[in-house]
Amino acid sequence: MAVAVTLVRMKIAILRHSTTGQRGGMMASGGVLGLLLAAGTIYLAFQEGDWLAAAYAGWMLGWIIGPVFSGGGDETLRPEFFALLGLPARRLAAGLLVSAFVGVAPVISLVALAGLVFAAAPGNVLVAVPAMVLQLAIFVLLSKVAVGLLGIALRSRVGAVGAGLVNGAVLAFLGQAWVFAVAFGQGGRIPSFVRYLPSGWGLLAVQGDYLALLAMAVLIVLLLAAWAALLAGRTGASRPSTRGRRPMRAATAQEAVVAKELRTWSRDLVRTHQLTFALAYGVFFAGAPLALGWTGMLPWAAPVFIVMAAAMTANLYGIDGTALWLTLMTPGASDMRGRQRAWLVTVGPVAVLLAVAFTLVADGPWPLILASVAALLGGAAGLVPLISVYALVPGTDPQRRGGNPLRTSEDDGALTGLAYLTMLLVALSGAPAVVAALLYGWWGVAAGLATGALCYWGLGLLAERRLAAQGPELLHMMRTGRRPEGGGRSVKLPDLPKPQRTIVMTCLSLGAIPLFPQGIVAAAFLANGRVRMSWFLATYMPPGLRWPTAALMILIGLTMYGVGLWIPYRAKKRAKPVDGPAEARPAGTPSARTDPAVYD
Amino acid sequence: MTAAALEISGLAKTFGDKVAVDHVDLTVPQGSFYGLVGQNGAGKTTTLSMAVGLLRPDGGAARIFGADVWSDPARAKQLVGVLPDGLAMPERLTGREVLTYLGLLRGLSKEVVAERAEELLSVLELRDAEKTLVIEYSTGMRKKIGLATALLHAPRLLVLDEPFEAVDPVSAATIKMILRGFVARGGSIVLSSHVMALVEQLCDHVGVIDKGRVAAAGPLDEVRGAATLEDRFVELVGADSTGAKGLSWL
Repeated sequence: MAVAVTLVRMKIAILRHSTTGQRGGMMASGGVLGLLLAAGTIYLAFQEGDWLAAAYAGWMLGWIIGPVFSGGGDETLRPEFFALLGLPARRLAAGLLVSAFVGVAPVISLVALAGLVFAAAPGNVLVAVPAMVLQLAIFVLLSKVAVGLLGIALRSRVGAVGAGLVNGAVLAFLGQAWVFAVAFGQGGRIPSFVRYLPSGWGLLAVQGDYLALLAMAVLIVLLLAAWAALLAGRTGASRPSTRGRRPMRAATAQEAVVAKELRTWSRDLVRTHQLTFALAYGVFFAGAPLALGWTGMLPWAAPVFIVMAAAMTANLYGIDGTALWLTLMTPGASDMRGRQRAWLVTVGPVAVLLAVAFTLVADGPWPLILASVAALLGGAAGLVPLISVYALVPGTDPQRRGGNPLRTSEDDGALTGLAYLTMLLVALSGAPAVVAALLYGWWGVAAGLATGALCYWGLGLLAERRLAAQGPELLHMMRTGRRPEGGGRSVKLPDLPKPQRTIVMTCLSLGAIPLFPQGIVAAAFLANGRVRMSWFLATYMPPGLRWPTAALMILIGLTMYGVGLWIPYRAKKRAKPVDGPAEARPAGTPSARTDPAVYD
Repeated sequence: MTAAALEISGLAKTFGDKVAVDHVDLTVPQGSFYGLVGQNGAGKTTTLSMAVGLLRPDGGAARIFGADVWSDPARAKQLVGVLPDGLAMPERLTGREVLTYLGLLRGLSKEVVAERAEELLSVLELRDAEKTLVIEYSTGMRKKIGLATALLHAPRLLVLDEPFEAVDPVSAATIKMILRGFVARGGSIVLSSHVMALVEQLCDHVGVIDKGRVAAAGPLDEVRGAATLEDRFVELVGADSTGAKGLSWL
């Protein structure tokens, strides 16, 4: 047990160092969310039917699928660290397993498993204790084995594609679980096979089926052996690539960036996995309702694919790690535009093909799908590089990635957050075109092309400027692997005089009211001929004034946002007249940006 | 007018409470082979990063042949070739692809790039690895491809951070030969190292950095005086004797 105890102490020490600052906040909010879910699970223990078994199946899937999104799961202690110690694989696996129980996620899962105590048959409450522990061990081990298998899969192109397909499909089906609930025709009842999944064995045990305890123990031994075998094979495996190389045709600087990116897209198995995953998710998500014979969702595979692909690739610069230095040393090489084009070339054709094929099958709605595809492609090709320079998550340099190829960064919480943020923003970038297509049919496609082109051009320009202005800071972040203390210096308001500050805060916080409900939503009601709607001013106006009122509201909203953004922008510009530190600024002045305290 | 190949004046950098570089002034004359020596963590990498525009200084300036690195980056970066220590490359490209694309990014024509890439690969003995991706390169090969990217656009100044770190003797000999040739044809080089013998063997100028400051700088013979560079270095840096006690259990 000495190995296990030492590993646990190591892990506690590491966790203690990471409970401060941004990561600590992320851990705390994740913990609270997890506890809410756990409480919900316990509540299900008091319900009739197999709801609890279904909930535990959900937890188990979470443990298996979660690591795919959070960069390979909990890797605080990595097997590679101990490769030179000469420990037998099984002892190391056992030690790592014990240490894997230390952490936020296992504790929360254990709380959720407390539902077993309440679901226990009278007299079986004591059985619940070993059942809880064994069940948790199964969750943790399944997670480890899944990551290990995926790691092996990601060593070859076929494996990466396969893993992407499977992961995408599983996640899409989870999201569309209602379809299958309906398809099984059990109207509000959980199919009975759910109780016989490994996640339900604890429940079986506390309900009097003691054999389930034994089954859990056997499964744990098997999983442990499998994991030990995977660990032994994990350290130091590499695969020489001997394929022929395509001839190079690029002749200009921008073509060079595009070619460099496209080759990286096709050769980096992590990127291959990301794209296959997005594709599989889109196809299966939109295809799931076919189980009910409903084709209406099918054409949406392409938009879903685009949004998911953007979310997976949002750390565009981070994934290259410190290779950014080459971009900094060649100013004026239009790296950003090249990357945008490469992204579009990678995702665009597949998305368009998907959209056309599936819309043909479903026989429409053409304007809506084409409008959203055009808008989303342009929006994503603009947003992905923009997000990647504004919210960069420092990546692990490709040649230093460990035995877990899913892990492209040390900060996987931030990566997950980045994925959700991107999903939301990209979806929003498609909204105007979708609204236009709903209201005006084919005009929506024109709107989509217009907003897409605008996003591509405008957001790309913003990203390019940010990279030019903040390149050294981004490289420094990548080098030290950490974000600056307090993060997000760019969104912080500069020091303003109090009256101006009040104006900015008021404009930013209240601008939404005239713009959205009183402006856009009211206009939508008017367009549908609905008047005297609750608190939408324009709908109460005499006929001639309705549209002008809504338009005025939109104008007021936009002006408020404009003022709210312009004042700090102007103040920021004044605060730093030159972009470079041509001369030393006295320390302590508001504009002197102290460099992050992250030097190791 | 003969501007210095690299002129560093008052460069300073603080990370949190730690002063990494404390107002460093250095002048690298044209045509010199300049060695920057110092212990690990003395501030060599930070100084060089700031000098070439890879890290924004808190204060001070760096000029390459008179062009300010921060206010006139396009011109300054055209004149310098950089080999940083331990930074990534475009890893999923072959050596030839790296050189070709970087050359195009530097604005060279396709034909010139192809010619130079061919010559660099054969001189640096990377031709056998034609189909190998950079990510699969050994440490020595990585240094050599890094040096190739630094030389590609015919710079007049080379800034090399630890070019011989973890490089095998055969590769090291090749690199030395190329660097000597570069200086012989009028180029200037700054390299950092903590191997004194190497600096003595290659360089004609030397700067000693200790705790973020310049402890001594100038022509090699002036700095080391009658002693060896190593003795002089230990004297300047102030060796502490804890290492000499040996280990109690051996």
